[in-house]
Amino acid sequence: MLRAYHAIVHALAVVAAVLLGIVALLVTIDVLARNLRLGSLGWINEVSEYSLPVATFFIAPWLLERAEHVRLDVFVQALGSVAARWVARLADTIGLAVCLVFVVYGARLIADSYSLGSKLYKSFEMPEWWTFVPVPLAFALMAIGFVRRLR
Amino acid sequence: MTWWIAALVLFGSLTALFVIALPAAFAFFGINIVGAWIYLGKDAGLVQLIRNGVVSITNFSLTPIPFFVLMGEVLFHTGVAMKAIDAIDRVIARVPGRLSVVAVVAGTVFSAISGSTIATTALLGSLLLPEMLRRGYHPNLSMGPIMAIGGVDMLIPPSALTVLLGSLSGISISHLLIAGIVPGVLLSVVFIGYIVLRAHLDPSLAPVFQHEEVRGWERWRPLVLYVMPLVIIFAVVILAMVAGWATPTESAAIGAVATVAVAWLYRALTTANLMRALMGTAAISGIILFIIVGATTFSQVLTFSGATNGLVGAIRDAEFGPWTVLLAMMAILLVLGLFVDQVSMMLITLPFFIPLMQHFNFDPVWFGVAFLICMQLGLLTPPFGMLLFTMKSVAPREISMRQVYQAVTPYVLFGLGLLALVLAWPPLATWLPRVLLGKY
Repeated sequence: MLRAYHAIVHALAVVAAVLLGIVALLVTIDVLARNLRLGSLGWINEVSEYSLPVATFFIAPWLLERAEHVRLDVFVQALGSVAARWVARLADTIGLAVCLVFVVYGARLIADSYSLGSKLYKSFEMPEWWTFVPVPLAFALMAIGFVRRLR
Repeated sequence: MTWWIAALVLFGSLTALFVIALPAAFAFFGINIVGAWIYLGKDAGLVQLIRNGVVSITNFSLTPIPFFVLMGEVLFHTGVAMKAIDAIDRVIARVPGRLSVVAVVAGTVFSAISGSTIATTALLGSLLLPEMLRRGYHPNLSMGPIMAIGGVDMLIPPSALTVLLGSLSGISISHLLIAGIVPGVLLSVVFIGYIVLRAHLDPSLAPVFQHEEVRGWERWRPLVLYVMPLVIIFAVVILAMVAGWATPTESAAIGAVATVAVAWLYRALTTANLMRALMGTAAISGIILFIIVGATTFSQVLTFSGATNGLVGAIRDAEFGPWTVLLAMMAILLVLGLFVDQVSMMLITLPFFIPLMQHFNFDPVWFGVAFLICMQLGLLTPPFGMLLFTMKSVAPREISMRQVYQAVTPYVLFGLGLLALVLAWPPLATWLPRVLLGKY
């Protein structure tokens, strides 16, 4: 189980990294092609826009696992070890609660958008709910992350 | 509920969540959940919160951030950065405090190519600091310049945080990026002047050592080979933006791809280090953007609770002069910078600062540059400036936090001086973008 969890978290992080690299390359090709009058990839602007939330949510569980999210730990470090442990438990519990809210309401947002049949029309058409899928996925993984820290 | 109670509760609980070391992004999410439930309509508010979160970062004006970060990450992970430092080291000779000057010059060059402040400090700190201490440099003269130049990184484009400031505040991103150049370079020049003067007055601070001097072409060759291309990339990124060939996102992407190409030409690129650079990029931009997921909702909650209008209105009605308000805003930023990271600082203050900026008719680019200088100082001010901890973590064990504080102090004063100068004489910030990009 734990191995599978690590594998998923790591795989999503790799996808985020590669995605950003590919988008940089595509945007560059588009600019060159446009200025050399070879035509333009009209859809690339949207792709680069949508890649940001995907990359951000995909890398977030990995960052949590490595404790790389920015936090202000100087006050906790000033506490004694027993007090610090309790404060850390409190913080992790709040973190877990936040994740659960995001999972539940993220799923509701997807369901709402799906049943309304909302679509995004720009250079290409796609169901709006696709853009929300990374949210409950990332927060479910981070919920597991917080549970592991609580134990 | 009167607005000030709402404001007090919102900011009070945010502070509490920060203090118990919950990651900043989750602190904002937590406040947003409660705020959205109360002010945006319970269930519907929470659904709205998630939608806002995705929309906050689905934004073309934010896309330069990962690309700017990628430029720096590629240089660091492929080792091209090290070659550039060696090249600069070879050219700078017979200056008092030579290695400190090398640190400032190398740092300025990296600022011009890297969008990540912490990476610059960590790299220079781990490479140059041991050498400086070994050569008998005083810790003040060895650590100070390295930390200080990490702060300058935020002013000299490309800078991820400048892009973020522009995107969140609605100030033109291209103008802000260009506006940082003059103050940033000015600060570097002042740093060099200070180092040379200190080392000249008290040579024991930076003992002169036999430095293998290379003459003729051999001395300049590495500079042409390893530094020139970086400067050219910087120039192309800026030029593409200024000439209107490309948007900030597109110039950033071109810069990133060009940096990878340069590393490849040096035969320094491997699949492994490219992957490390990409992972580093996703991590650094992920950390920044994940906090921004809460941005839209946070400012909506502040608005619906009446806190924004209440506070902004109270300041308007009190009929303070524009300078009083401006100085108060800068003071708030400097105090926040003591404790809070840069992205959170923007989220907390911009909902109030931007309406005030508009009310008092402050020039947005001028205001933005002053804002950036305050954030840059926040990285350097004891007790919690982020670069101080970066430096402590790469410095040898015997260096105490006290010494780190001592080393950075003069540079913080220079930063404050620059802030005063920009406030007193706006063209310092606004002249270059006006000339290059026209009116905004």
